[in-house]
Amino acid sequence: MQDSIIKFENITMQFPGVLANDNVSFDIKQGEVFALVGENGAGKSTLMNVLYGINTPTAGNVYIKGKKMEKFHPSEAIACGVGMVHQHFMLVPSFTVAQNIALSKEPRKSKIFYDLKAAEKATSDLVEDYGLVVDPKAVVEEISVGLQQRVEILKTLYRGADILILDEPTAVLTPQETEELFDVIRRIVKEKNMTVIIITHKLNEVMAISDRVGVMRKGKLVGVENTKDVNERILASMMVGRDVLLGKVNKTGTPGDVKIEVKDLHVTDNRGLLAVKGVDLNVRAGEILGVAAIEGNGQSELLEAITGLRDIEAGEVYIEGTKINGMDPGQIRHLGLAHIPEDRIATGVSVQSDITDNLIIGKETRPEFSKYKLQLKKSTIVRYANEIFEKFDMRGAGVDTKVGSLSGGNMQKVVVAREFSFNTPVLIIAQPTRGVDVGAIEFIHQCIIDKRNEGCAIILVSADLDEVFRLSDRIITMYEGKITGEFAEGEIDKMGISYYMTGDRSNEAGGEA
Amino acid sequence: MKFLNKIDKKYVLTLIICIFVALLCGAFIMLATGFNPIEAYATIIEGAIGKPRLLGNTIEKFMTLCLLGLATAIGAKGGLFNVGGEGQLFFGALASTMVGLTLSSLPAPIVILLAFLTAVVVGGFYAWIPAMLKVKLNVSEIITTIMLNTVAIKVVTYLVNGPWVSSSPAVSKGTDYLPDKLAFTKLIAASNLSTGFIFGAILTFLIWYFMKMTTVGLQMKLTGENPRFARFSGLKSDKIMVGSMVASGAICGFVGMTLVYGYNGQMVDTISSDYYFDGMLVAMIMNYNPIGIVIMSVFFAILNTGANMIDMTMGISSQIYDIIFSVLIFLMAANKGFIEWFNQSQAKKKARAIAKEKAGKEGI
Amino acid sequence: MWEQITALFTVGLFQNTIRNATPVILAALGGLFTEHAGIMNIGMEGMILGGAFVAVVFSFTFASAPMGVLFAVLIGIIIGLFFALFVVKLKSDEFIIGMTLNTFSAGLTVYLLRTVFHQTGSWVSTDIKGLPPIDIPVIKDIPLLGDILSGYSIFVYISWVLVFLVWVFLYRTPYGFWMRASGEHPEALETAGIDPVKMKVLSSVLCGIFCGLSGAHLALGYLNCFAEGMSASRGFIAFACVVFGMANPPKVFGAALLFGFLQALAIRLQSVGIPSDLTEAVPYLATVLMLVYITVRSANKKRNRAKKAMAVQAAEEG
Repeated sequence: MQDSIIKFENITMQFPGVLANDNVSFDIKQGEVFALVGENGAGKSTLMNVLYGINTPTAGNVYIKGKKMEKFHPSEAIACGVGMVHQHFMLVPSFTVAQNIALSKEPRKSKIFYDLKAAEKATSDLVEDYGLVVDPKAVVEEISVGLQQRVEILKTLYRGADILILDEPTAVLTPQETEELFDVIRRIVKEKNMTVIIITHKLNEVMAISDRVGVMRKGKLVGVENTKDVNERILASMMVGRDVLLGKVNKTGTPGDVKIEVKDLHVTDNRGLLAVKGVDLNVRAGEILGVAAIEGNGQSELLEAITGLRDIEAGEVYIEGTKINGMDPGQIRHLGLAHIPEDRIATGVSVQSDITDNLIIGKETRPEFSKYKLQLKKSTIVRYANEIFEKFDMRGAGVDTKVGSLSGGNMQKVVVAREFSFNTPVLIIAQPTRGVDVGAIEFIHQCIIDKRNEGCAIILVSADLDEVFRLSDRIITMYEGKITGEFAEGEIDKMGISYYMTGDRSNEAGGEA
Repeated sequence: MKFLNKIDKKYVLTLIICIFVALLCGAFIMLATGFNPIEAYATIIEGAIGKPRLLGNTIEKFMTLCLLGLATAIGAKGGLFNVGGEGQLFFGALASTMVGLTLSSLPAPIVILLAFLTAVVVGGFYAWIPAMLKVKLNVSEIITTIMLNTVAIKVVTYLVNGPWVSSSPAVSKGTDYLPDKLAFTKLIAASNLSTGFIFGAILTFLIWYFMKMTTVGLQMKLTGENPRFARFSGLKSDKIMVGSMVASGAICGFVGMTLVYGYNGQMVDTISSDYYFDGMLVAMIMNYNPIGIVIMSVFFAILNTGANMIDMTMGISSQIYDIIFSVLIFLMAANKGFIEWFNQSQAKKKARAIAKEKAGKEGI
Repeated sequence: MWEQITALFTVGLFQNTIRNATPVILAALGGLFTEHAGIMNIGMEGMILGGAFVAVVFSFTFASAPMGVLFAVLIGIIIGLFFALFVVKLKSDEFIIGMTLNTFSAGLTVYLLRTVFHQTGSWVSTDIKGLPPIDIPVIKDIPLLGDILSGYSIFVYISWVLVFLVWVFLYRTPYGFWMRASGEHPEALETAGIDPVKMKVLSSVLCGIFCGLSGAHLALGYLNCFAEGMSASRGFIAFACVVFGMANPPKVFGAALLFGFLQALAIRLQSVGIPSDLTEAVPYLATVLMLVYITVRSANKKRNRAKKAMAVQAAEEG
């Protein structure tokens, strides 16, 4: 019987406005590969950050190798043998591999000088010992992402880690690199008796590499199972659970002409790698196409390409019959498109300006709001803002409130109000109710349905499956840049679709009976 | 009255406190070096507005500071820091002077108009270069404008003491004096205050109007606040950013012209001693708010002119102005930092309280 | 014409180059620390001036140059801490604080000079003890080279040694690595267990010390006096050197020598008809061009790396 090497006891983590971990308790056994799965926002990374000492839990205890963690700081976790490889690497770009690995624990010559050769030797010793091949003298910003990840792993090993936390490690790797990583994990667990915790949403990987798997949902631990006792479908259903769906909505009308057409679209992400790998889709007037995908599978880049915020690498996009390749957002909007962006604070509003300004931007040169397109008709604008304020039931001080001080729900209402009041035939909507209170969710959903019934063609991307199911006429799933499934209303349910969101099922024959 | 509601009361209060503390520091230094601060401050006020001539100088100084502060504000609101205003001012001043000297045979209004256009175009162009470098190549406009400043001043110094130096034996350095018909009429005799002030006041109003009441001003403001949002909304954020920087340079060019046409009469390499930097710092501590810049410029103009008086009559070095000025800026900067730190610790406290409540409810 | 130009290259030219460059080298070395720690410090002008003033005041008071230098170092530490407090702890805009520091320093030094020491313009006194020039044995007797290399004030030689020491600190000690990490990727340093804030504060203090030394050398190195505004934009030239030399000690040293050379040349070129002001403008213009070059080159490198990665990805996914 393996011993527990890590024990979480009633861990609660409260951030302003969100309960990230809700009374989580479980243990991890020594020498095993433990997978922690869940959708975005489930609380997996937060929990691991507690283990690594980055977050101090609001309540609860953590025991490492039987000892309770008194102080929550990375140095404490490192001293207990815990090492973490984050999603965003903690590597200094201009330093070499060896220098990054030895950071803060540099070998010394006569106490104050850095023995660079010793660092390089220590690195090559580790390389040989663990079989993680990388050149100690290479400069980190010049090597591939897969190699950079190896450096991160070597860093933890250098500090004597025997418990390794990997946060979404394969998100940045190619399939080949993923295989190599798994070989490494298998080897270090077997030969060095290490314990590996891997945070992921890719269920095929969970099945391939883990011994046990813990499923989290909305901050709570749903359950811990032996991997051999479950399969991907079971895990998928555990991830989404049987939450009560919001009430039915009233959909009217039939779909009309095709308004949005995407052909073999290829889009690169910020790292320069392909994030959208050949997507085809159509959306008709009066129809909502829901895109169900876990964050990081290309859906953001897909929408950014359609709305002009990102360049198109290959393929074509047509809005209202016009090819939009190479156009900027202003030109595309002119064709009849409005967009609710996935990050309202970064892209959807200006937090330093008031509600009025945020509502009017995009319309300010219209004759009803400006004379000769230059002079603002202030009183008309304020009146208009107040009308919208009432209509959208925004709560708070008034239209001169700074948007930055609004609640998530009210801020999103500002975005929705502005974008919907352009009355465009095409609407691109991403994560419309993320971080929004229940009352506002209901309201925003009704707005979207109303637009659909009026004949708008709508693409809805959301990580909230309840929302996708409630609003969509058709649903497609995306995984790693490709569309992995397409379903009409009623053809599939939440637990079933979760399966398509967590793996490339496009090659599987049909579905289960 | 509604306008008064818009003012951030907390901000104004902290500003007043900081001004008070800065004046106190000044008083302390004066005391420590053997002077009577009360007498000094009284003399400063007197030296600023006591006589018509002094009042004229103060008003002129106010206009200069105010316009240069607004120039900074326009650039900053659009999202770019124009640190090169001094250089743009120099070039604008020189260009307009040379236009005035070469075309002096033409009727005065035409020459002045041409000189104005030249000053504005030259100043704007010199700001356009670093703006394009930033927008197209992402080169830090702060560094380029600082460097280009010195380049401009040195080039102007060369021209003004070299090929374009006055040939008249009465002139010890600098260009020829502008013919009398071109000089702006003095509003107050023997002071620096000329009709340039009226132009400046009109320009101030136009700048305020542009920033607060026009569509382009609104677009510029939003571009500066969140360029990604601006682009998302369909604004041509690159063009707006460059445009705001060019406007900033144009204003500086104009101010340069008023320094020559308004009271100096000729172009010299000492036409401005870091006036732009003073205006820039005023704008920065007033968060680029046009009304705030106007008000603070009054305060600093009084202090500046008054400081010259206490230097003459009481022997207190006029540098006390720079000292009080810098202390005030340090205090305002520290103030901002304290508020941020305060907000953050409040947010943390709130989070802890919510968690405790929840834990209490669930009986843990 | 050619003869006129070669005639410019006298021993005096090189001597002036080195004399011009030394205060800039010292300040620029200080600026290297803050630059690597991710702080854009344009307040070096004020730091140098403060150092110069304090050096003179205490050399005068104690009739000893070493005391002047010591207090210049102390004031440098104080200014460095002050700067760090605002920029690092209170997160003020480093640009505003730097510029204001320049104004404050200029104002306060002149005020004190006039009010406390009753001097205007410049303060010369036999009680201000300066640093002695050093004749290096053996080298001083080499024809030509001896004149160029020997006989300077002690800080000239100290500055050369410091270039090497700063390089060693940044690239051969762990602390240098930590300081560079605190500017390049503070989270990496933090998760490794070292507080980047401490390194930034240290960089600021070191900058203050070096600028203090620069000021001390400026005041006590040759003329043993303090003159109002004697820093004369050297702080800005030092900043330009840091940018031009890409924050690399030997390159920054080279930049300082180059700019010092241009400054020395400027006066001489005047005699062959090239205006000194224009020659003096060259360093600043060159810095702008160099910055453009550096920025574009780094962006291109990034793009090429991304292209390579995509090619690998495409090959794998077939």
